[in-house]
Parts: sequence; C-alpha cells; structure tokens
Amino acid sequence: MPYASIDELESALAGASYLPDRGLSTALYLSLKLEKPLLLEGEAGVGKTEAAKAIATALGARLIRLQCYEGLDVAHAVYEWNYARQLLHIRAAQEGTVDEAELFGPEFLIRRPLLEALEAEEPVVLLIDEIDRADEEFEAFLLEVLSDFQITVPELGTISAKQRPYVILTSNRTRELHDALKRRCLFHWIGHPSLEREIEIVKLRVPGVPERLAAEAAAFVAELRLLDLQKPPGLAETIDWARALTALGTQELDVENVSATLGSVLKYHEDLLSVRDEALAGLVASARGR
Amino acid sequence: MAGSAVVSHIVTFGRVLREAGLEVGPGRVADAVKGLDAVELARQDDVYWTLRQTLVSRREDIEAFDRAFDAWFLRAPLKRPGATKEAPPKRGERRKGATPGPGSEIDGGETSLGAWSHEELLRTKDFASMTPEEFARAKKLIQAIAVARPQRRTRRLRPDSKGRALDVRGLVRASLATGGDPVHRAFRSRSEAPRKLVLILDVSGSMEAYARAMLLYLHAARGSGRGVEAFAFGTRLTRLTHELGSRDPETALAAAAKRVMDWSGGTRIGESLKAYNDEYGRRALTRGAVVVVLSDGCERGDPGLVAEEMARLRRQAFAVVWVNPLKGDPAYQPLAGGMRAALPHVDRFLAGHDVASLEALGTVLGGIERRHAA
Repeated sequence: MPYASIDELESALAGASYLPDRGLSTALYLSLKLEKPLLLEGEAGVGKTEAAKAIATALGARLIRLQCYEGLDVAHAVYEWNYARQLLHIRAAQEGTVDEAELFGPEFLIRRPLLEALEAEEPVVLLIDEIDRADEEFEAFLLEVLSDFQITVPELGTISAKQRPYVILTSNRTRELHDALKRRCLFHWIGHPSLEREIEIVKLRVPGVPERLAAEAAAFVAELRLLDLQKPPGLAETIDWARALTALGTQELDVENVSATLGSVLKYHEDLLSVRDEALAGLVASARGR
Repeated sequence: MAGSAVVSHIVTFGRVLREAGLEVGPGRVADAVKGLDAVELARQDDVYWTLRQTLVSRREDIEAFDRAFDAWFLRAPLKRPGATKEAPPKRGERRKGATPGPGSEIDGGETSLGAWSHEELLRTKDFASMTPEEFARAKKLIQAIAVARPQRRTRRLRPDSKGRALDVRGLVRASLATGGDPVHRAFRSRSEAPRKLVLILDVSGSMEAYARAMLLYLHAARGSGRGVEAFAFGTRLTRLTHELGSRDPETALAAAAKRVMDWSGGTRIGESLKAYNDEYGRRALTRGAVVVVLSDGCERGDPGLVAEEMARLRRQAFAVVWVNPLKGDPAYQPLAGGMRAALPHVDRFLAGHDVASLEALGTVLGGIERRHAA
C-alpha cells in the first residue's frame, strides 16, 4: 500500500491526469487498503474506465483489461490452447510419437486477461469492464476467481496468483449483479462531476484549451444535462467537444460554432433536434453569461 | 483497530440501515469498521464515503442510506418520505373487508362437482369477482404457471455433430491418434438461450382488483430463469426485480409492497414509461427483450406521451406485448385515451383477467416472433 492517506492518493492521481472527486478517491483508497475489489457504477461517460487506467498509472502497475460481452466464455477470458501450433507440432514430430502432456504444455497456452493477471510477476490492475454485459454463468465463475485468486486449467493444474491483482469492476447496470459478487466488492456510484471540477478536468485533459472556452463548454454541457434528453452527455463528451472546439481554433462559444460541433456532444438525432434555434441560442447565452 | 465505541456505533447504524430495507450483513459491517480505521474520522465527508461504499451495494439504496446517515450522524430530523402517502394494503386486507356471505353460496353450489371442474371454473373466473377463498386457491394456480420465453441464438458454440463450425479443439485431440491428420472432424453450432423478458405492471387504483394476481404472475415469471426484469408503476416507476427474487411468494410480495410507494394511487402511464425508457432503456435493458406492459390503459396524463414512449420502447424491443384485464370482457373496446394511443405500437394485445388468460400469455410469449400484428 503505497499511499498513507487519501490526500496522497489524490495527488498521485492528479499526476496521472485524473481528477477524482473525494468520493471516488476514498473508494480507490479503501479498496487498496482493505484489499477488496472495487465495483464502479454510473452513467456512460462519467469516467469509470478512466479511473482504472489512472490508478494503474499512479501505481506504476500494468493495466490488464477484460472487456465483457454477452457470451464471453473461459476461452476468451482465461485461456485457450493454440490449436494451430499444436497441429503443426504433431506434423513436425511425425516420426516420433507425440506425448499428450507435451502438447498441452505452457508453450501452447494462449493466456487471456484473467490468467495473465494471475500469472503476472509485477503489480497489475485488473479491469473487468462492463461486467453486467457478461452472462450470469460467467459472473459466477468470476466470483470464484475473485475469492481464491486461482484458476484451474485441467491439463496444467491449479494456477495461483503470485500476488493479488488490484481489481476494478465496472457496470452500466443493464442488469442487477449477483449479491454474492457485490458482497466481495466495495461499491461506488459515480455521478456527473461538479461544474468547477469539470472545468478543471477539461483544462487538464485538453492541452491548449483556452481558459474561457473550457469554462463555457463545461457550463453548456451542465445546462444540457438539465434538459430532458435521451442521452445526457457525460464527462467524456465534454472532453471530446472541448478538443474539437480547440482544434478549430475556437476562443469562446457562439451559436455558429456550437451548432457546427454539437454532434460530438449529443449522440441521438432526437436530442440534436430538440436543441436547435432559440433553445440553442438560449443555452449559449446562459453558458457565456456566468 | 478502531475503538469499541466506534464498533458499537457502526453495528447499531447497520441495524438502522436494515430497518430502512438495506441488506447489511456482518461482513459489510466489518468492512465499514476496517475502513473507518483507515481514514480521518474528523473529516465528515470521508466518514460518509467510507460507510456508503462499504455498506451500500445498490444505487437504489443510496437515498435511504443518506437519510439514515443524516439522522444518525448529523442528528437531523428523520424525514419519512413514505409516511404521508397511503401505505400499501397489507396482504388480503382489502379482501378481508368483503362480506363472506354471498361467496359461500357459490362454494356450496359447487361441492357436488369434482375437484377438476372446481379448478376449471376458478381458471376462468375474473380476478375482480373472486372471494378471498377463491383468490387463495387461484394463487396456487398462478404460482404454478410456467412462463415460456422465446429463444435467441447465443454466440457460444456447443459440440453438435450437425453443426457447421469446425471444432478445432476436438480436431486436435482426434488428430493425435492419426499423426496430425485431421481424419475425424468434429463440429459445433450456436446454442440457444432464453430472451430477456421485461414486465412492467400498473398498480394504480383502477388496476387494484388485478394488481395482486398480476404481481404473483410477475413473481412466477421472475422465477422462470435468468434475464427477467420486473417493474411497477402508478405515478412513478419502481424496479422490483430484486424484491421479487425471493423464492417464497409471500416474502417477495411483501418486499415488493414495501418498495412501491404509490400503490393504488393515480396513474401516469406515459411518464412512467418515459422513466423506464430514460433510466433502463438507455442502458440497453430493452434491447432484444420481450417487453410486457400489464395495464388497463386508463391514463390521467397526456395520451400523446404514451404514444411517443411506446414508439420508443418498440424501436428497441424484440417485441412488445400489452396485457389488459379489461379485454376479458367481450364488449370491451380500447377507447380510453392511453390505450388507444398505445395500441399502434403493440405487437400483441391480450387479456389478463383470469388464470386461464395468464396461462395463455405464457404460451404467447414462448412463441412470439418479431413484429406481430396487434
């Protein structure tokens, strides 16, 4: 545990270009301290995945990411045998006989993220991204891995973690996760950042953004979130947008440059239609007025 | 280690949270104590976050946690948001009020008939006209309804001699015997899994006579396997998936009734569907799912909103089914504003006024295909 306090962790994360609020830094700190996996939930684009990347950078650890999807199975999450190589090996050894034990040795094993994380010699951050998308069977399997930090490969035996990886799970809540899994984890819900923090984050993440533009863009997005939109923009959208505006040499918002670039903030056609003309002019005026 | 005063404080706080409906086991309390040991107790925000992150595991519980935290640690007056609203009727309370007189007459008339026809009669009796005894028996029938679900193809491949994808893993093993020549080929094919099922139940005043039977149906459906989500609404939407997860129907119903704040109140179908689309549809819960709305379609709000939100729902769902208990009456015409607005966006429109029609619903769900005509 390299950090003696939450403040220390916060400054390390700031060094990795990540500005968490107090709640998130407390969560990261506690999960390091209590050696428990951290489950992060929140709307899309609030920085769940970014948090894992930042803590890996801050810790000087390697980030290993397992992206979950429906139908994810052991072959894609843990290991798979390199069949093509095995076939070649059998052909090459035509003369002699091939021993099955030889064929299922470590050199024919393809390591997928979970096994890679367990076998790592150096410190690793294991990011299990969008766990809610995986099937429940896989969740149950994961629960086993997270309790013992070991995996059994039938042909090789049980492989135990050389050291406990630091685990972060994210979920978009498309379904409720199993209680047993939640019991293993600390839980943190990430909301949208405050306006001041969002301005700070934009300035940190978008090099060369004019001070005034950062403030106006963040204020504009904050206003958008109050509207009744199908997909309110997240922090990721604010950053993308500020980047686009900066690339266009924009110094401050006006109706023209906002309408030209609004597509990087609002991703639904209906949402774009609802923020037009007077509504748009009003939003620009109030974002500039502060 | 934290002082014993802190420990007993947290243990008591855990009990307060349990009373507020949170699941706080001893493991969580131990984590909270360990966590507090690691942070500055003088900083109130650090204490708040530590307790929230160790004791809460669902977003829905954050509000209740915040209230309890304020009351417990900040000595703020405990607000009870549910206190002003009418409490949900306890099990059977409403039916207890009905005089058992005329009901026993029907029972008396039926004793000569066999048990089979007894049950048959019960199956086609409108829930609204059942006596408490009949409802108690009907309950068993509803619980026993097997909820069939349509299948979808999965990405995962299973061994299948008639499959079309080559099973390379099997091939390598088989080739060992033939010196690396793939003589015996094994195949795999995609397998099938049940589709997601989303049930949205109207528990407003006008649905009162049917809501309990339908809630039982939701519980039965929830028990049919993975990927079932349940919601209830009157004026606001409540997710009941977790509450209905309990095996025992009585426990599940009690938990659900505790969660639903607006039982037997007004109806806002459009806004409730909008809340569903905004909160859950956006997170892809609807995508590829069969969505069943159980409501009489009596909307107090704007029917235009109902149409808009149903259209949104249908764009994402695999199929949309509307179950309306009023449709059990042969003379019923869907003239109510909300119902009329919703119909163009519904794939199947079914009755749900008795046990038989709920059983039929199960069959329809099992065989549903995309884009049926209503």
